[in-house]
Amino acid sequence: MDQRDKEAIREIVGEDHFSDELIDLVSYSYDSSDHDHRPGGVAYPADSEQISRIMQLANERRFPVIPRGAGTSLAGSAVPIQGGLVLDMVRMNRILDIRIPDRQVVVQPGVVYAALQKALAPSGFCFPPDPASGKVCTLGGNVATNAGGIRGAKYGVTRDYVLALEVVLPDGRIMHTGTKCMKSSSGLDTTRIFVGSEGVLGVITEITLKINPMPTAFRTALASFETLRQAGQAVTDIMHSGILPSVLEIMEENTIRVLRENYGADLPDVSALLLVETDGYTDGEAEYGMGKVATAFEANQAKTVSMAKDREEAEKLWAIRRAAGSVAGGLRPNNLSEDVTVPISKVPDLLEGIQKLMVGHKYPFVIFGHAGDGNLHPKIMFDGSDPQQVREVHQIAEQMFKLTCGLGGTLSGEHGIGLAKAPYMHLEHEPLAMEMMRLLKRTLDPNNVLNPGKMALED
Amino acid sequence: MTSDKHPLLEKFTEQIQHCTRCGFCQAHCPVFGATGRPALNARGKMLLLKEVLAGKLELNQELVDSLFQCTTCASCATNCPSGVDVPGIIKAARQEMVGLGTCHPAFTGMNQVLDDHDNIYAEDEPEDFDRERGKQAEVVYFIGCVGQYREEEATEAALDLLDHLEVDYTLIDEVCCSGVLEDVGFSIKPALAAKNIERILATGAKTLVTGCPYCYRTFSGKDIYAPLREAGLEILHFSQFLARQELGVTTDLKVTYHDPCDLGRHCGIYEEPRKTIKALAPNFVEMPSNHANALCCGAGGGVRGAYAKNSLAMARRRLDEVEEVGADILLTECNSCVHNLANAKLRAQKFQVMTTAQFIMELLDD
Repeated sequence: MDQRDKEAIREIVGEDHFSDELIDLVSYSYDSSDHDHRPGGVAYPADSEQISRIMQLANERRFPVIPRGAGTSLAGSAVPIQGGLVLDMVRMNRILDIRIPDRQVVVQPGVVYAALQKALAPSGFCFPPDPASGKVCTLGGNVATNAGGIRGAKYGVTRDYVLALEVVLPDGRIMHTGTKCMKSSSGLDTTRIFVGSEGVLGVITEITLKINPMPTAFRTALASFETLRQAGQAVTDIMHSGILPSVLEIMEENTIRVLRENYGADLPDVSALLLVETDGYTDGEAEYGMGKVATAFEANQAKTVSMAKDREEAEKLWAIRRAAGSVAGGLRPNNLSEDVTVPISKVPDLLEGIQKLMVGHKYPFVIFGHAGDGNLHPKIMFDGSDPQQVREVHQIAEQMFKLTCGLGGTLSGEHGIGLAKAPYMHLEHEPLAMEMMRLLKRTLDPNNVLNPGKMALED
Repeated sequence: MTSDKHPLLEKFTEQIQHCTRCGFCQAHCPVFGATGRPALNARGKMLLLKEVLAGKLELNQELVDSLFQCTTCASCATNCPSGVDVPGIIKAARQEMVGLGTCHPAFTGMNQVLDDHDNIYAEDEPEDFDRERGKQAEVVYFIGCVGQYREEEATEAALDLLDHLEVDYTLIDEVCCSGVLEDVGFSIKPALAAKNIERILATGAKTLVTGCPYCYRTFSGKDIYAPLREAGLEILHFSQFLARQELGVTTDLKVTYHDPCDLGRHCGIYEEPRKTIKALAPNFVEMPSNHANALCCGAGGGVRGAYAKNSLAMARRRLDEVEEVGADILLTECNSCVHNLANAKLRAQKFQVMTTAQFIMELLDD
């Protein structure tokens, strides 16, 4: 990107909506991952028409364009690794339509997740996937990474709710995918190609989402287990019991110790904790689900069980789970936080496998995650200023990915591939599947201008 | 990681490294809320400082618009999952920059003004509010620069209320406490502090009541003002003093309260102002953000002077919350907040903005 390009971009978005000031270039060099690279500038487009013109210019002048929401990617998906122009979608932040009778909302990509929930609350509806970064992340980012969350066990992930998209293709054409209907068997599913595409195939400019009535009754319990196997069997029993818990979280012994020692949590010295929530539209429904959970706890010799009597008590149990990541993160300056995922029944194998990998290493680590959908968050703490530690931690990560894929798992349950996991794509995807992904990328983006360098699509 | 070039900043190296770049501060930072510009958010500032400490960036003029555009409201630190002390880091970075000869001109000017004058507005004629100064009394009422020179009506109301309550108080020939200079890269002026200490103690008062939350922070927390505390003086903000009084008036109006950052997040004073207001106005309502999560009015940290447009945009976001809850009256306990919020209020917004003392005086006059 040279001065001429910058002038042309200013002309498209307006003088006040382009910057190449140093403070902005530094800020847009990063997301929440450990990767960084300076862009040449940032534009704040107002509509799909402006983005279309920018993409045409990018193809003519061959500079990269990197769409960005709140920059909370944990995989480096929003890092402009080859420089170029960052497209900050912050100005496209309008909720365009809320259609309760159709169970749909139409939003621009820059709408913050929490803002949509706030807008839906008076109607008693919600958008169910609930990423941990919900108070800042944008719906465009959620769609682009197929974001999940803590309630995935029952409510699935973003992909399950995207009905239609408006997308600016890499060559600047504006395409509308999907349907405004709740179901459609019409043609190939072009919507889902863009869900989880991390901005490598198109810039999402409008999103139609399915919404749900908000559950109104909840039951929450925290149980401790002497062995990981007992906790794992309890998870299996719950999944067999004929109910779908809205939350089924597991924390292993390192997490429990860190919470006890560094957070002052009153927790027993055990190998695993399960935090379970059941929900429904009546107390009876939530209560019925929790009854099944209690039976599974008992059958697997839970050492302690805390049943929350009300929302306040439930909140105390939740606080323990919420604190896990940040309390552990504070043990060292840097941490590697992954989202490896396996079939639900393999969760104990993955937990034990990761614990074994860490034997003989000096790094503090914790493992917690969404046992209800097989998605774990191992977190390894280290000092990123020491190159040897960085190297060793990345070696551990590679072993962890091999272990996961060996269990029939996936590299990423909800964060995406970006830069962080691009080198490991071959562990999960066979050569033909990789070739199909690359073919799709080349077909839509022959000049490789849109978010290049991500997802191992150029190898 | 460190370059030994920036001793003040390097004290915070570990803190800065603890920022995991999660970006959750974007949900709370008033500057980001008003501008949508990540470079101005706490994460943006931490990224700049990480690169400075790594020797990739110079701590120079190009960084001023980020590092000096912070109201030091501390909502980022309050909500940071990694516990990063952002306001402390920002203060150190600004001091470091001033040491290197880099600063926003508004703050250089503020420091200069306090070398040459007794108040931040370089005013020569203080309003005397028709009250005697420097007499012997139980209580000293310390007005603060904003109350003295910009929000005279709020000060008049506070003094009228003290008269109504028959408090034995005096004003003094006060000078700027100069506490705010520490926030913008400079130091408290010892000569100003000495004048305040001498004049306050000379009254023989047992209690020092400040109209300004920042003056309260300065007197009750800064080393240079330790002689006040060592003399056994009880130091109170006006809202704490009011919470001890019986006022005997009530209203049916719908009233809400804005927590000033200097009183709330910085001093933990949330309930005393509410005790007074709830007794006056049973129809009290909280705004969506309140207590430790209250949105900043946008005036602090010198931002109102240096970045007026964004400061007003921050105040407007706070006023949107007043509209959202449908309050008739917005009360606060900081003259600086009143000043900024009242300036930002649109004509179409029908609620009134005032201090609790002003509201009480209106009710008493009715």
